[in-house]
Amino acid sequence: MAHVILKDLVKSYGSVYAVRDVSLTVNDGEFVALVGPSGCGKTTTLNLVAGLIPITSGDIMIGDRIVNDLDPKDRDIAMVFQNYALYPNKTVYKNLAFPLQMRRMTTHDMDQKVRDAARMLDITHLLERLPRELSGGQQQRVALGRALVRDPAVFLMDEPLSNLDAKLRVQMRSEIKRFHQDFDATIIYVTHDQLEAVTMADKMAVMNGGYLQQYDTPAQVFANPVNLFVASFVGSPAMSLIPLEAATNGGTTMLSSAEGWTIALSDQNARKVQRAKSKKVVLGARHSAIRLHKTQVEGAVPAKVYTVEPTGDVTFVQVFLSGAVVNISLPPTFEVEPDEQVWLEFDQNRMHLFDGETELALND
Amino acid sequence: MSAPTVVHAPRRRRIDGWRWASRFFLVFMLIYTAVPMAWMMVTSIKSGFAAMAFPPEWWPSEPTLASYRNLLDPQNSVGRDFLRFFWNSLYVSTLTTILAVLVAVPAAYAFSRFRFPGRQFLFFSVLLRNMFPAVIFLVPLFILMRFLGLVNTHGSLVLTYLTFGLPLAIWLLKGFYDNIPIQLEQAARIDGATRFQAFVLIVMPLSVPGIIATAIYSFIGAWNEYIYAYTFLSKNEQLTLPVGVQRFFSENTTDFPGLMAASFMMSVPVVVLFLILQKYFVRALTEGAVKH
Repeated sequence: MAHVILKDLVKSYGSVYAVRDVSLTVNDGEFVALVGPSGCGKTTTLNLVAGLIPITSGDIMIGDRIVNDLDPKDRDIAMVFQNYALYPNKTVYKNLAFPLQMRRMTTHDMDQKVRDAARMLDITHLLERLPRELSGGQQQRVALGRALVRDPAVFLMDEPLSNLDAKLRVQMRSEIKRFHQDFDATIIYVTHDQLEAVTMADKMAVMNGGYLQQYDTPAQVFANPVNLFVASFVGSPAMSLIPLEAATNGGTTMLSSAEGWTIALSDQNARKVQRAKSKKVVLGARHSAIRLHKTQVEGAVPAKVYTVEPTGDVTFVQVFLSGAVVNISLPPTFEVEPDEQVWLEFDQNRMHLFDGETELALND
Repeated sequence: MSAPTVVHAPRRRRIDGWRWASRFFLVFMLIYTAVPMAWMMVTSIKSGFAAMAFPPEWWPSEPTLASYRNLLDPQNSVGRDFLRFFWNSLYVSTLTTILAVLVAVPAAYAFSRFRFPGRQFLFFSVLLRNMFPAVIFLVPLFILMRFLGLVNTHGSLVLTYLTFGLPLAIWLLKGFYDNIPIQLEQAARIDGATRFQAFVLIVMPLSVPGIIATAIYSFIGAWNEYIYAYTFLSKNEQLTLPVGVQRFFSENTTDFPGLMAASFMMSVPVVVLFLILQKYFVRALTEGAVKH
């Protein structure tokens, strides 16, 4: 296993930039998820690391080697593709053996390694089958086996779970996580599903528009999103973001809405708001950081219930507030009706504040 | 009864009407294509007299294989000619097919996988040749062949047939390569193959059906071609079959059983090829129609 360092990585097609100045370090044995919406550059970044497309500028290091100009076969990597890319005319055995054949391994060693890998992934009984005779989950496992069989420095995974149905996806998610733990594998994992990133990765790299937005542990990204994009992308349901204006009234800093209500801020939050470039401030709050009251309470703001979604353990309520949709989670015993008048109270210690112009998080 | 029943009934009848229309059409097409073939075979086993009889004999009273014996007998002049023409056709068609596949495979692969300047332009310009009827190029190509000293050689035909066959072969194969996921090659390259190895070891085996379809296509095209062979070749010993069978026509008499027997023999390689390889052909033409 080895570490991977990306330094000022750029990929452009003419004047169109797919990846811009991405720098990050994946430590030895670390599981890093590249996450973002489609077209954000995450798959391009992975293909650059794999060497499938040439880089425009910057450096890629795998282990202690700069691999910028090396062919994929010389980079000591293995890749799992979204559609698995199993060789359709080869049996599972031959699929697993192919990387070893290409390395001119002796038949005896090859057989040993293929059978070891098959045993680890519990696919020994499938060795003589063709890929089209396997289920999605089995194909996925064979793809993992083909990556595993030659003990590469880095595993690259390109949305390996998105072709599976929901139930299998959850199961394979834990299998890949287990795989990472068992083999101390260095893994770079591309996904558009922030939930996969949060649940599996040691660190997540959130990308948008070719830029790396934030690179940190899932807990940190969740707790301290650096900008509006990361705040809205990570977490399910998404963080509620309400555009407001900063105002002062007799020494108290508050946020006021176009609808006329105001929220007085704690000292710490007031300091944050004062750092904003203009009066425009976006208030962010996770569903659990908002309390819903059925009667008017000091410091709560009026709103109207839009939908109520019971999920069993929690009930999610969507509320319209100052033109934004606000998600709130409630215990299932709490009864509330659509169109009901309610009051919302924001937890001062768990609210996020963003500069309305730069879209960056406001920090103390 | 209720309104929905009233609406439903005529719709059912219309579907049935279409189904019958399509059945009639298929039967008509079957007759249209099969009857001439059947008549060809029946005539080929008649005697010369019986072939000209009126009203025609639907089944010869004295079926005979004399015409076939005649054609396949290297001892007499008709048989010698026929076998030579047959060989010439086989030679020209096979050479055309091999060259077409050799050129079309890398060309189609390049059009499918690589992005290079002028790709679109080149891709559509290979089709330009097929926008014009073959006759338009007859005289220019003849002059060109004379300039190259290829008149009265089989090389002139092979070159000419390639100008027809290659564009179609490239188009057919490109569609085929487009349907082979690029991730397979990427996987192979990561697994330790060079780009060329990925092509030979992974892509080529998968494109066999496409290559076979392309080969059949260009073989049949070359096998049946008449007008260029008629123009470029004048020496008897070089003629191909479509031109050669004309020798059964003469000013006063036509040996219809002999002509039909020759035509039947001529259709044999095509039919045999098709029967053996039809599953590949159908697979190639419908590839990509369904999601894998």
